[in-house]
Amino acid sequence: MMRKSKWSSLWLILISLVLLAACSYGSDSGTTTGGESEENAAAEPKKGGKVSIPIVADPTFNPWHPNAYAESNVVNRVLFSGLTQPGEDLAPSPDLAKEWETSENELEWTFHLRDDVKWHDGEQFTADDVAFTFNEIVLNEELGANNTSYFQNLKEVQAVDDYTVKFILESPLAALPAYLSFNTEIIPQHIFEGQDPWELTSFNKEKPVGTGAFKLKSYTSGQNVVLERNEDFYGEKALLDEVEYKVLADVNTHVAQLLSGELSIFALDDLSAIDRIESADNVGIYARETPRFFWIITNQNDEKYQDVRVRQAILHSIDRQNIIDTVLKGYGTIADAGIAPALKEYYTDDVTRYDYDPERAKELLAEAGWEDTDGDGIVDKDGEPFTVDFEIGIQGDLEAVSQMVQQYLMKTGFDVKLNAMEWNAMIQDVVVNRDYEMSLNWWRYPADPDLSAYMHSNAVKGNNIPGYKNPELDKLLEAGAQTSDVEERKKIYAEAQKLMSEELPYIFLWYPQEAQVRANNLKGVPDLAFGDALHYIHEWYIAE
Amino acid sequence: MVRFLLNRLGQSIVLLLIVSIITFFLINLAPGGPASTMRMDATEEERQAMVEKLGLDQPIMVRYLDWITNAVQGDLGTSFTSSEPVLQRIMERIPYTIELTIFTIIISVFFGILFGVMSAIKRGRAQDHVINFVSVIGLSVPAFWLGLMLILLFSITLGWLPSSGVGPRGTEFDLWGWISHLILPVLILTTTVLPHIVRFTRSSMLEVISQNYIRTARAKGAKESIVLYSHALRNALIPIITIIGMLIPRLLSGAVITEAIFGWTGIGTLIIEAARGRDYPLVMGVTMVITIVVVVCNLLVDLLYSRVDPRVKNV
Repeated sequence: MMRKSKWSSLWLILISLVLLAACSYGSDSGTTTGGESEENAAAEPKKGGKVSIPIVADPTFNPWHPNAYAESNVVNRVLFSGLTQPGEDLAPSPDLAKEWETSENELEWTFHLRDDVKWHDGEQFTADDVAFTFNEIVLNEELGANNTSYFQNLKEVQAVDDYTVKFILESPLAALPAYLSFNTEIIPQHIFEGQDPWELTSFNKEKPVGTGAFKLKSYTSGQNVVLERNEDFYGEKALLDEVEYKVLADVNTHVAQLLSGELSIFALDDLSAIDRIESADNVGIYARETPRFFWIITNQNDEKYQDVRVRQAILHSIDRQNIIDTVLKGYGTIADAGIAPALKEYYTDDVTRYDYDPERAKELLAEAGWEDTDGDGIVDKDGEPFTVDFEIGIQGDLEAVSQMVQQYLMKTGFDVKLNAMEWNAMIQDVVVNRDYEMSLNWWRYPADPDLSAYMHSNAVKGNNIPGYKNPELDKLLEAGAQTSDVEERKKIYAEAQKLMSEELPYIFLWYPQEAQVRANNLKGVPDLAFGDALHYIHEWYIAE
Repeated sequence: MVRFLLNRLGQSIVLLLIVSIITFFLINLAPGGPASTMRMDATEEERQAMVEKLGLDQPIMVRYLDWITNAVQGDLGTSFTSSEPVLQRIMERIPYTIELTIFTIIISVFFGILFGVMSAIKRGRAQDHVINFVSVIGLSVPAFWLGLMLILLFSITLGWLPSSGVGPRGTEFDLWGWISHLILPVLILTTTVLPHIVRFTRSSMLEVISQNYIRTARAKGAKESIVLYSHALRNALIPIITIIGMLIPRLLSGAVITEAIFGWTGIGTLIIEAARGRDYPLVMGVTMVITIVVVVCNLLVDLLYSRVDPRVKNV
């Protein structure tokens, strides 16, 4: 009897502890969740509050650092500013540069800078900072800075006076203002001069000095980065008091924290969680267009893929709409060329379409000499069956998508071996060594239709990973790069898209839409993809 | 005793050396080096610049010899991803893992022995069956799944506990903030070790209470609680101490998953970051630190063993 009562009291204590925990946490959870529906939100922007954004690893506070990956971009976009930023229509709009013009031959671009910009440490921002960033960091080949591939045509940047810079190019680059809005933030000369820009830990990891709407308040490795409002910001002062980036390696945790009100906004990569988010009251999902396209590439050094009919047969074999509807939960549109609908001015659907048509695929294969002669369900030519080594990296939805693609291709008569591997291993095989047969992935690019970097013959050692060469497409891509006249470019890129869809340098799959998830009480976020909306974080606010 | 310690020290050094060689060569042979962690659209020149900067164009033997020479002098190198000293990055993170581990061990040992003893003395009865059943469930449920389920229940549905982070620290520290962040990760880690302690305590107790001296004690009319806790448990504890020592490495590996799920800023999340970023020096550093912890734990267990059981002499 005595022993029994001892156990009962132990259980009683435990239960009371849990209940106590419940009460005290529950009492303040209301303030963090605060989920009000869109309709009830205050119309008037309100000052104060903070947003929480997930990042998967510690960031590097230097946009040019070779280790500044996606998690750094979302922080650096807020800490620093670029000369331009993506506008509401994604076309480049002013940021540090008020306006710009190009010379007659399009080899010189002049940018007129704002004169009211201060670095977070109080120093004045000038044209010298821009010249330094480009001449000493971007153009210094030994450094191997991030994103330099966009500036390979750039010869030098001259500071004409304190608030004017001139970009001198080797050949015309109509996309320059767009490139300057894409992870191309300016860093301070007065801190980096004479220093090794990658070893300057006091800046890159501890105390970054930018010109953005928020400045660093605190940073705890592996835990969070907290930014506070920059009261000296040159634009409209931010409404939020703080922006917190939480380091959360596990993406399932992102969804859990969003639902529990601990995270405010992010772009959802794995769409399998979307149903759970849709059913939550305090969170909304917004489909956003982005300049991205998903593709399958076939190695053009392999003879069997050089025949365009084979590439077309592959595309006819895949029911892309079904993949979009099931795996992507509808967040995407079928692509038949590379210029995404997000680039409204340049996108056209007047291209060759490839419906899901396995019979047509078989016909095309037969025309190319591949037929199932021995009745084993696999097409063959000269006694050789059509085998495919299909390599993909494991990330987001890629594995699920690839499994569907494999099934579709096998139905047409390809013998597909799917090899899903860790991401870095895939990059090593496919991108670095080009030792692959077929792969599936995507490109995200700055908001400009110039896809030379991915399809021009000159880029076969660069990002033209399939190794596709076509003089006709080269000519169109060059023409598009050489004029900044929008009307003329529209015509050129309409033609280029037609050619892409006929020739399939990439086997285009779809243009994905970003599923942007965010707390209902977060307002003022422009109708842009999450990454682009960060440029306008000073307009975001928390509604009661 | 001194000879024993010197002997163990020698063994430990050999062990550390072997672990360092295996880890160094394995991570360097893994497909995709630091240059493959760059953006997919990085150019060949950008990748080459990184390889040269990190000295990865040197033969692997040269790099290992460089690393080990510096390591024995206490310099674990510079992290590829952050350019900070590896030791500094580890030292920033290790207190958080120690915190989790200490709480887990205290709770697991207390409840493990309690339930183990209870299960043994109620052998074959309802309490015994319930404890065994729950232990088996605890052993078989994967930590990541249980973690997500607990987040779903306690953070999302009930809103009682935060789903991740270490809570406010430094000047903003508050007691409940600290404890509330600890509860779920400690609970998960506890499920990975507690059932082992329960089962070992149970079998150890059963073995001891069937022995003659316990029967003698009872026959002499000693109180049941004195028989159980003073005579039986003291002897039953010896194998339990061994198992606790052996569970510490398990706890550290469990921390990798638990910390990742709960965004806990410890050594577990650090090794994930290091592996993901192909940060070779950091992977080496964390592995060596964990190996040292395991070696030290084993040594402590051996020493404690001889204290608890005078029959065991480390001479």
